[in-house]
Amino acid sequence: MGEKRYTFGDIIGDPVIGERFQKVRDYFFLRESTYDMTSRCNIRCEGCYYFTGEKQNTPDNTNPEDWHRLLTGEKERGITFVVLAGAEPSLVPELCAACYQVIPLGAIATNGLKPIPADIDYRIHISVWGNDATSLAVRKAPDMLARQIDNYQGDPRAVFVYTFSPVNIDEAREVTELLAKNGLQITFNMFSAPVGYTGPLRHTSETLSRTRRVMTELLAEFPETVLFSPYNILVHTEEKGLHALFSCSYPRMNPSTAIGLGRSFRQYRTNLAWDRDAACCVPDTDCEDCRHYAAGSAVVTARMYRHADNPRSFAAWLDYVDTYLAVWVRGYEKGKNLCADPVIPVSDS
Amino acid sequence: MSNNSTTVTRIAEIIINELKLEDVTPETFDPDLDLVDEVGIDSMDLATIALRLRDEYGIRIDEDDYPKLTTVRIIASYIDDKLQAGE
Repeated sequence: MGEKRYTFGDIIGDPVIGERFQKVRDYFFLRESTYDMTSRCNIRCEGCYYFTGEKQNTPDNTNPEDWHRLLTGEKERGITFVVLAGAEPSLVPELCAACYQVIPLGAIATNGLKPIPADIDYRIHISVWGNDATSLAVRKAPDMLARQIDNYQGDPRAVFVYTFSPVNIDEAREVTELLAKNGLQITFNMFSAPVGYTGPLRHTSETLSRTRRVMTELLAEFPETVLFSPYNILVHTEEKGLHALFSCSYPRMNPSTAIGLGRSFRQYRTNLAWDRDAACCVPDTDCEDCRHYAAGSAVVTARMYRHADNPRSFAAWLDYVDTYLAVWVRGYEKGKNLCADPVIPVSDS
Repeated sequence: MSNNSTTVTRIAEIIINELKLEDVTPETFDPDLDLVDEVGIDSMDLATIALRLRDEYGIRIDEDDYPKLTTVRIIASYIDDKLQAGE
């Protein structure tokens, strides 16, 4: 007997899966681009993507009117979601506000040391690289977590993003416990080496496996605190990176300009210019090592078709998309994960 | 290019249903409209439509082929070719 063949109609005919599909489908209108806001940062972290490559030498445009004009053009070409990132957007709140006035859906990646004004109602992603001792060693900043929590306590915009590296895997528990105690939420990221990086933070088979185990434990023990799913864990701790697994659809790795990210995505530098050959969510990452949460949010989501062969695989994909929306979109509430034992489907291509 | 009007009309119907388009019927849908530039379809819509076409015609649509599927007529031709090839 062969495996049962499912139609897409069969799969979404299941009431639970069908309802979740409709829930995430309402957000298919999201079109992202990303923006480096300033070349300044108040800390220097080992392995920081921003201070890799040439982009750190780009001059800054600090004029809010120019940013407002840029975002107006972005909106006109169909961008509905912005990600404000490098180097440290909290240092230029007036530019963040100019963006928010034009495109009200988005997220800001910050180290959390300087609060972002409350009237900029984007999701706020606060980067955590370990406990305070590790942060001091890797980011050269004291009391980081305590200061981050103090700045974002009770703020519904906040989600803490814990980047697993080989040196902080076991610290994730104490960080998650502390955030849970403070009623804050956390999601997980993976250190992905910048091009040319030769330091100790690059993952190995052993650290990927250990990370998978810790993520699984934390998701089970802190379901209200951890925004993640079993499929997120599987995808982001695989030996193969995201590009090898799903063929990255960002322009840097995708020559097609016909549809999707290859057509619409741009990554602007601080001088408001962009370069298609370098455009992806975290430029200057070594694509072979890329397991970034930001990359997965787009790349895994784009591969809906290959996940729609059976209910288990599609439920896993829905968990992934539901997680990404909860992490990135203000007001989106994550549902219960639907698939406890996912597998990664193989492409036909 | 496909001259199979049944296939063209059925694909138009699927697109109309999936995108909830108003003021157009399968018969009046211009099969040469550019689906991205003129209809406003995006990659996730196209993936959903591809799955509906898989159900309808029993063929698989390669993810790498999405960029080529720019009009209803081209999709119809693509499907006809796959059916003729017995895929």
